[in-house]
Amino acid sequence: MQFMLLFSRQGKLRLQKWYVPLSDKEKKKITRELVQTVLARKPKMCSFLEWRDLKIVYKRYASLYFCCAIEDQDNELITLEIIHRYVELLDKYFGSVCELDIIFNFEKAYFILDEFLLGGEVQETSKKNVLKAIEQADLLQESGESRSPISIL
Amino acid sequence: MSDIVEKTLTALPGLFLQNQSVGGPAGVKASFSSRLGGLVRGITALTSKHEEEKLIQQELSSLKATVSAPTTTLKMMKECMVRLIYCEMLGYDASFGYIHAIKLAQQGNLLEKRVGYLAVSLFLHENHELLLLLVNTVVKDLQSTNLVEVCMALTIVSQIFPREMIPAVLPLIEDKLQHSKEIIRRKAVLALYKFYLIAPNQVQHIHIKFRKALCDRDVGVMAASLHIYFRMIKENSSGYKDLTGSFVTILKQVVGGKLPVDFNYHSVPAPWLQIQLLRILGLLGKDDQRTSELMYDVLDESLRRAELNHNVTYAILFECVHTVYSIYPKSELLEKAAKCIGKFVLSPKINLKYLGLKALTYVIQQDPTLALQHQMTIIECLDHPDPIIKRETLELLYRITNAQNVIVIVQKMLEYLHQSKEEYIIVNLVGKIAELAEKYAPDNAWFIQTMNAVFSVGGDVMHPDIPNNFMRLLAEGFDDETEDQQLRLYAVQSYLTLLDVENVFYPQKFLQVMSWVDASLSF
Repeated sequence: MQFMLLFSRQGKLRLQKWYVPLSDKEKKKITRELVQTVLARKPKMCSFLEWRDLKIVYKRYASLYFCCAIEDQDNELITLEIIHRYVELLDKYFGSVCELDIIFNFEKAYFILDEFLLGGEVQETSKKNVLKAIEQADLLQESGESRSPISIL
Repeated sequence: MSDIVEKTLTALPGLFLQNQSVGGPAGVKASFSSRLGGLVRGITALTSKHEEEKLIQQELSSLKATVSAPTTTLKMMKECMVRLIYCEMLGYDASFGYIHAIKLAQQGNLLEKRVGYLAVSLFLHENHELLLLLVNTVVKDLQSTNLVEVCMALTIVSQIFPREMIPAVLPLIEDKLQHSKEIIRRKAVLALYKFYLIAPNQVQHIHIKFRKALCDRDVGVMAASLHIYFRMIKENSSGYKDLTGSFVTILKQVVGGKLPVDFNYHSVPAPWLQIQLLRILGLLGKDDQRTSELMYDVLDESLRRAELNHNVTYAILFECVHTVYSIYPKSELLEKAAKCIGKFVLSPKINLKYLGLKALTYVIQQDPTLALQHQMTIIECLDHPDPIIKRETLELLYRITNAQNVIVIVQKMLEYLHQSKEEYIIVNLVGKIAELAEKYAPDNAWFIQTMNAVFSVGGDVMHPDIPNNFMRLLAEGFDDETEDQQLRLYAVQSYLTLLDVENVFYPQKFLQVMSWVDASLSF
C-alpha cells in the first residue's frame, strides 16, 4: 500500500498514513485532488478508481471515507477487506465507532493502524491477537494501574 | 501470547486513558475535556477558513512556547505533541516540534515514548536531517528488557529509518529473529523487510535466516516472511524454485483449514496469506512447466473452495485466476478460471464487473475467444453510467481492435475523451486512438478526420510523438503513389476548411500540424 487517507464528507482530513516517501507539498496536492475526485463519485459507483498512475480503493462508512492507494499488482478486492478489517478493529475498540471517536482519539486510531499494517503490508492476520491487546487495556485501566509495568517482567 | 507479554502489551493502551477514570467508550467522552478536544471543538465552531487559520496559528504559537519552555513536563509534552500532529494533518507547519518529538521518544515513559515515536513517523521523512538523532534511541530500546519498548523500536524501524545507519541496528534486529516471543520475531522480520526495500545489499547475508522464518512455528512470523520472499522472487524467481514445494504445502494447509480458528476472517482462512502465496506461486510458475505442475492441485482446490458469497472470497478467486493465467497453462484450470471470469463480468455487483473486465483485459492475449463470449455484456458496459467501468471497457476494446471494429471503437473512445477532464486520461487515450488509427484505418478520409479530432482534443498535453509521426507519415507516405496523393490532398483540403471557420480555438500543436501540412504539401 502506498498511503491511506480518512476524510469526512466535507473533505476534512481525519487521518493520513503514508507508506512512501513524498514531499509535504506533494502530499498536500495529492490529498486535495484525490479528496475532490472521491467526493465527486456517486454512491452506486465502483469502489475502485484509476487516478493518475495509481489505483485507488475507497469505501464510505457513515460520514467517513476510507481511501487507500495501492500498487499496480495489488488486489483491489482484498484492499477493500483491509479497510473493512480496520473498521472492525476500530469498532471493537471504541464500541460502535463513529467519526467523533476517530477525531478525538486519532492517536489511538494510528496505534491500531500501526499494529495491523506495517510498512504498507498487513501484519497480523489474527484478529484475536490485535484486539486482545486492546481489550485488556480497559480491564487494566479499571483496576487503576497506571504505572509502567516494567516490574511485571 | 504468554501472560507476561500480554500484560505488558496491554498495559500500554491502558496508559492512554491515564487522565480519565473510566475506560472504553466512556473514556471517549472524558477526552472531550482534553486540550485536543478543546482545539477540535474550537475549529468546528468556526465558519471560515480564515478564522481557522487564525485559531491554529494562535494554537501553534502557544504550543511553540510550551515545547521550548524548560518547565514543561514530559506528560505535557505528550499532550502538545498530539495537538501538533493534528495541526500538521490540517496542513499547517509545525516543524518546530520535530526535535521535541524525538526527545519525547527518547526520554518519555512508555506512553510518552509511543506518542513520540508516532509523531516522528508522521512528521519526518526518510531523508530528514533529524532522523539520525533517532538512531540512538532505537538502539537503546532494542536492547531494553521491556518487551513493549522493543516492539515500539521495531515498529518505528519498519516505518522510517535512515539507510546509512542500518549497520548500527542490523545485528540487534537479527538477534530478535530468535526471540521467544512471536510478536518480536514477527516485527523483526518486517523490519528486515523494510531494510530489504531500501538497501537490499545490506541484508544479503541473512537470507538463511529468512528461510528459518518461513518455517517458523507461528503463522504470523511465517506470513511476515512472505513479504520479503515476494520481493526477492520477483527479482529473481529462478533462485527460489526449490521453495515451491514449501509454498504449496503451506497453501494447502491454509485452504484445508489447518490453521487456528483465530486466523479466519469471516469464515475464510487467512485470506491475506492465501493471496500472498498465490502471487508468489504465480511468479514461480511462469514459463516453467515443471514448477507449475507442482501447483495445479492446490490451485484447483482453491478455486473449488471459494464458494461463499463474500467479497473476500472473490478477492481470493480473482488472485487465483490471475495465477492460473500467469503460470504454464493447464487446460482444465484455464477452463475453470474462464468460468470464474465469466461470473464476475456478468455479476450485477459493480465491483465484480470491474474486476471481470480487468481480468478479461489481462487474459485477452492468451484467450481471445473469452471476450467474444461476453461481447454483449461488454457492449452494455460501454454505456454504463460509471465512468470507471466505461474506461475499463475501452481499455479492453483497445486490445481486441481489428480492421472490422476499429471505426466503432475509436468513435466510442472519442466520445469518452470529450467528456473527460483529467489530463492523465486524455494523454493516455489520445495515444491509443492515434495508434489504432494508424494501424487499422480503413480509408484516408476517416484517418484524417480521426487525427484531427485527436489533435483538437489532445491539444497541447499529448505526447509530441503523435503529431510528429503523423507529419512524417504524410511526408513519407505509403508505397502506393496515388494513395499518397489522395491522402495529402484530403489533408490539405480539410485543414484549409478548418482554418476558414471563424471563432474556433485550436490548440497550438494542431495549428502547427495544419500550417506545416498546408505549407509543405499544398500545390
